[in-house]
Amino acid sequence: MADVNRVNFLIGGPAGAGVASVGLLFAKCLQRSGLEVFGTNDYPSLIKGGHNTYAVSASPTPILSLLGKPDILIALDKKTVEAHALELSEGGALIFDSNKVSDAREIAKRQDITYVGAPLSQMAAAAGGEIMFNTVALGAAMGILGIDFAIIEGMLHKLWLRKGQKVVDSNIAAARAGYDFSKSIVNGGFKARIEFVKREKTLFINGNEASVAGAIAAGCKFVAEYPMSPSTAILHLMAGHERDYGIIVKQTEDEISAANMITGAGFAGVRAMTATSGGGFSLMAEALGLMGMMEAPAVIFNSQRAGPSTALPTYTEQADLLFALHASQGEFPRVVIAPGDATECYVEAFNAFNIAELLQVPVIVLLDKYLSESSQTVEDFRKMPLKVERGKLMSDEQLAGAPQPFKRYELTANGISPRSLPGQKNGLYVSSSYEHDETGFTSEEGENRMKQIDKRATKLSVIPEVFIAPTFHGASASLADIMVVCWGSTKGPALEALRLLEQRGVAARLMHIRYASPFPASTVLKALRAAKNTVILEGNSEAQMRTLILQKTGYYIEKAYLRYDARPFTPEEIAAHVSKLAGRK
Amino acid sequence: MVTVSELNSGHMPTWCPGCGDFGILVALKGALAKLSIPPEETVVVSGVGCGSKLPHFIKTYGFEGLHGRSIPPAQGIHLANNKLTVVAVGGDGDGYGIGMGHFIHALRRNMAVTYIVQDNEIYGLTTGQASPTTRQGTKTRSTPNGAIEREVNPILMSLSAGATFVARGFAGDIPHLTDLISQGIAHRGIAHIDVFQPCVTWRKDLPYDLYQKKIYKLEAEGHDPASFDAAMKRAQETERWPIGVFYKAEKPIYTDELPFIKDLPLAKHDISSVDISKYIEEFM
Repeated sequence: MADVNRVNFLIGGPAGAGVASVGLLFAKCLQRSGLEVFGTNDYPSLIKGGHNTYAVSASPTPILSLLGKPDILIALDKKTVEAHALELSEGGALIFDSNKVSDAREIAKRQDITYVGAPLSQMAAAAGGEIMFNTVALGAAMGILGIDFAIIEGMLHKLWLRKGQKVVDSNIAAARAGYDFSKSIVNGGFKARIEFVKREKTLFINGNEASVAGAIAAGCKFVAEYPMSPSTAILHLMAGHERDYGIIVKQTEDEISAANMITGAGFAGVRAMTATSGGGFSLMAEALGLMGMMEAPAVIFNSQRAGPSTALPTYTEQADLLFALHASQGEFPRVVIAPGDATECYVEAFNAFNIAELLQVPVIVLLDKYLSESSQTVEDFRKMPLKVERGKLMSDEQLAGAPQPFKRYELTANGISPRSLPGQKNGLYVSSSYEHDETGFTSEEGENRMKQIDKRATKLSVIPEVFIAPTFHGASASLADIMVVCWGSTKGPALEALRLLEQRGVAARLMHIRYASPFPASTVLKALRAAKNTVILEGNSEAQMRTLILQKTGYYIEKAYLRYDARPFTPEEIAAHVSKLAGRK
Repeated sequence: MVTVSELNSGHMPTWCPGCGDFGILVALKGALAKLSIPPEETVVVSGVGCGSKLPHFIKTYGFEGLHGRSIPPAQGIHLANNKLTVVAVGGDGDGYGIGMGHFIHALRRNMAVTYIVQDNEIYGLTTGQASPTTRQGTKTRSTPNGAIEREVNPILMSLSAGATFVARGFAGDIPHLTDLISQGIAHRGIAHIDVFQPCVTWRKDLPYDLYQKKIYKLEAEGHDPASFDAAMKRAQETERWPIGVFYKAEKPIYTDELPFIKDLPLAKHDISSVDISKYIEEFM
């Protein structure tokens, strides 16, 4: 019996061969067929050559990470056959260019799989251009699964229309050729097939794209950024929509400039952001302190990649947590949020801009390569009831009666002071990097110094714990054999692992932490104390969240499953580790 | 009408008696008064250094940022609200040393921002080290045997980087400097004004009367500020030190290419409810 609407897919080839585009198209065809889809890429830091892959898992039910072995493998070169043929699930299919890899059978040494060796380039040339060889391969994958060709046609139409009808037509012809070719080979006999499911439209979106959606929705109007993988797509997306949304997007001379520029823009009353990765964030450290001292709202996205220094530029890691919490000299409040999936990227990006203005603090959103560049199907963001809140901005009327000089840094009960914007009468002040009194004037006096430090520190407590609390998933606290703790992008693989553990008879409960600052200490401590057995999962070698939890709660989580090969967690490996710790095989 | 006294902040400057920064402060106030720019519509941005304390001594909005970083926030403020008058100030160490990268890039962007450099050829606040404009051979606390490297020529750099208003003033000639600053603020584009600023504490070898002896006014010798070549030539003079407007050109400014802020500055755009449909569509 064929598996309906459950399939895993992998495409591999050299950089520049369109590996990611075909992978994305494949995923979107499944999304448009009404399935839940997860897609992610793997590539070295170069522009041509090397070995790139894009992997997709699709299912009729929500899917939060890659799951299982590929059923279909498109090999755009020989290397892909060599590297991945053994990964194919039993009875899977291998699509390859029969002219380029004539010895695919000898390399793969697999009797159980279907070989779909098509002269991809020749077929593409016949359809209008050899360059479309990857579209032929895509068509072949679709043919194996028996997807309604109209869906592929629709996708290609949408994708290529801006290049003209001729390009659309030849791409459709190329896909058709591959589709018919593979269909004639498998003849409906493949182990998986796709049947259209009617449902409300979903978004297929990755962490970077979702973060941008959240920023745009929150009214971000100014982006200053210096390109750095894996955050660069944020710059491209924002620049691409500059005129649609009236957002000024400034590529700066360096990250120092970007961070200082958004501080200026925030001071002048515009919601502003920058995005970078660890290296660029390092350069922003001094400006981060400036934001803290000036109480200027600003949002910084740091999509973590493997560090330190240049390290593995296109691979993932969660090792900037403690750095984000402590970057810059001195003490000042900052908010650090680590969303776990695309929807949380949207919501927390939105929240970040609200919090930045409500608390008048810098907000750091920690993404990572895996989260930034993995796409998943999610519910339409427009359904979420999020509201722009700008905090203690003074109106012209309020300022008209304000005593002079204006106390921009007035000592208040919750530490949040009234904020005026340049252009407003009676709100004049100097925003200073020096310690200052309530009016903003430089002060090196001891008592004032302590009062201002305390005032700034108090602001973080304004956020209620319920807002920053971790989320809990899986077995209830009383029934759980083990509590799994994770943060950031590990959420997806960990959630999938819960299901695998359930199949093995292990009742696991997951605590996913989003807010590192302010830290939801009482909720976390209560949950840890209630657990029989606990393990923490982190994508770093030092268990940085464990350190933070210890610091904030006094509770030490003894068991840690740490992954620092710069690759994301997989549900299978998490399940294997956790079940061992839970005393099962 | 805006009077100079309206621009007094009420705080006494903390500079050494006789410091050139007093003259620059007076000239800036004079220029803002002359142009009748309401104090609330001006933002004076600075970095860190003796001269960078200036925002506290003038009653406008102020942004006293990080050392070497006056230019980036000035650009951010300008882009956020291009109806404001944005004046960045800072010393030669701040602007031509640690902030050199920002300086050069700001010039080629041609945003309508005025940048005044209090150029005293020394690091003052850190007690007397060689700065980028300290002339070769000069003995300072960090170069006791004389500075080995060549000094930078800010006017030449500014011209080559594409500045559209390049001038130099002298803190000891306040009426002349006031005129230069008001021209710079009125200029549509980036205005770079380097100011000879005597440091009476750390550069006793560069006193007011030496400047008086060396300087001459470009306008008095028939210099044509529309001529780039003439400006380049004047900028390379070393025996006599020209002050005045070296170069001035009308060129499109950065915000000309941003149609959505033509009528309403960014800070005034309504953000209460942004519809993301257009953005979201490509992910459906």
